[in-house]
Amino acid sequence: MSRASLPRACAAMLRRDLLLAWRRRGDLAMPVLYAVIVVVLFPFALGPDLALLQRIAGGVVLVTVLLAMLLALDAMFASDIEDGSLEQLVLAPQPLALMLGMKILAHWLATALPLVVIAPLLAGMLHLPTTAIPALLLALLLATPLLSLLGAVLVALTAGTRRSGMLLALMLLPLCVPVVIFAAGAVAAAQEGLPWFAPVAWLGAALILCVVLAPLACAAALRIALDA
Amino acid sequence: MSKWIPLWLHKLGSPPTFYRFAGAVRPWAMGLALLAGAIGLYGGLVLAPADYQQGDAYRIIFIHVPSAWMSMFVYAVMGVSGFMALVWRMKLAEVVAMESAPIGAAFTFITLVTGSLWGKPMWGTWWTWDARLTSELVLLFLYLGVIGLYHAFEDRRQGARAASFLAIIGVINVPIVHYSVVWWNTLHQGSTVNVFGHSKMAWDMLWPLLVMTLATKAYYAASLCRRARTDLLALEGGKDWVRQIAEAEATP
Repeated sequence: MSRASLPRACAAMLRRDLLLAWRRRGDLAMPVLYAVIVVVLFPFALGPDLALLQRIAGGVVLVTVLLAMLLALDAMFASDIEDGSLEQLVLAPQPLALMLGMKILAHWLATALPLVVIAPLLAGMLHLPTTAIPALLLALLLATPLLSLLGAVLVALTAGTRRSGMLLALMLLPLCVPVVIFAAGAVAAAQEGLPWFAPVAWLGAALILCVVLAPLACAAALRIALDA
Repeated sequence: MSKWIPLWLHKLGSPPTFYRFAGAVRPWAMGLALLAGAIGLYGGLVLAPADYQQGDAYRIIFIHVPSAWMSMFVYAVMGVSGFMALVWRMKLAEVVAMESAPIGAAFTFITLVTGSLWGKPMWGTWWTWDARLTSELVLLFLYLGVIGLYHAFEDRRQGARAASFLAIIGVINVPIVHYSVVWWNTLHQGSTVNVFGHSKMAWDMLWPLLVMTLATKAYYAASLCRRARTDLLALEGGKDWVRQIAEAEATP
């Protein structure tokens, strides 16, 4: 049996996961619908006061995207654990961290990217000034992969358990506090016409750190959670 | 190799030896905790003079500050023993890490409650979103996450290892809690007591605080010994040494 080269293995992994996601397109729409509904609820709850909605728009969109991602996070490894393909992946000759990195990338492309695409619409529904939209998009583009990477580590940790939904939220929310702070800081600064690059740079730095470390941590966590 | 570590320290890693050791240590630690706690509380609540600005309200620090220190100290203990549990797969390290978590969570909770009780008359608010308070709250959530993850597994050892991993990830928060008053401009005051330098606090107020610190440390030791003993018995239920203990206790 010949051993597939690393780039080919990565591409195959990515293609498989994206294909699986595409076959279940209905599931992909769920986080987006959820985000739209949550954002629609805010004007009903707070009243259609323009100034108030404008002030909270950035934060609401960020938190909504975060919650929508949390909703989809649970499914990251679930089907692979059920049919045993994750165990095959652990046994495969290719480095597990790299393969998991590909899975995380596929998951981000399938669930977080649609949310980022729809974010300007959500922001528009809450009357966020158009000048703040680039900051929002850039912050989301850096913050959502961070959440996917952090979330993947925790999902891997809960891989061996039955009920993980609420537990996942309890574990992820403290870890994503800095992400929310910096992303919201960037949007708020852009809204007031201040330079907003510094918080975005912090997010970028954190993302680089996580891209390197999180797949390794994810692999270690999966090994702990799967050996019974 | 490593002859400077006496043999009994290695032996302590074995559950039956630790069980006996913890049983011997626990009464002394509990006695010390009660004694030091009584002295410290008397010194702090009765002997120490009232503050010239805050009056008697400042006295809550004799509970607030020691438990805040313990909330970080216990997390550090949990992180280190969690690391040992993952690297060397020591059963005892898993037990110590997992049994530390509820104690640490309790200390963190006490810190938050006493802090907000003090904050109402002094700052005029129960809670404010400043860096020290927020990071302490995050610490509580981390403790709860570790406890939750531990109990989510059916296999206790596997749960302990997974939760240890989470604890190690969360260790990053401990320096953030500690340095939050330095890095950010917070409503919470900076540190007054300095271990390695001159403390900005009168001795009359300082000594009860230090005695209370000793009391909380001793209480933690006593509580951990008790919890670890129970946990070891449950974990090693089928082993010979547990049966011997059970038989010895059954025949008085």
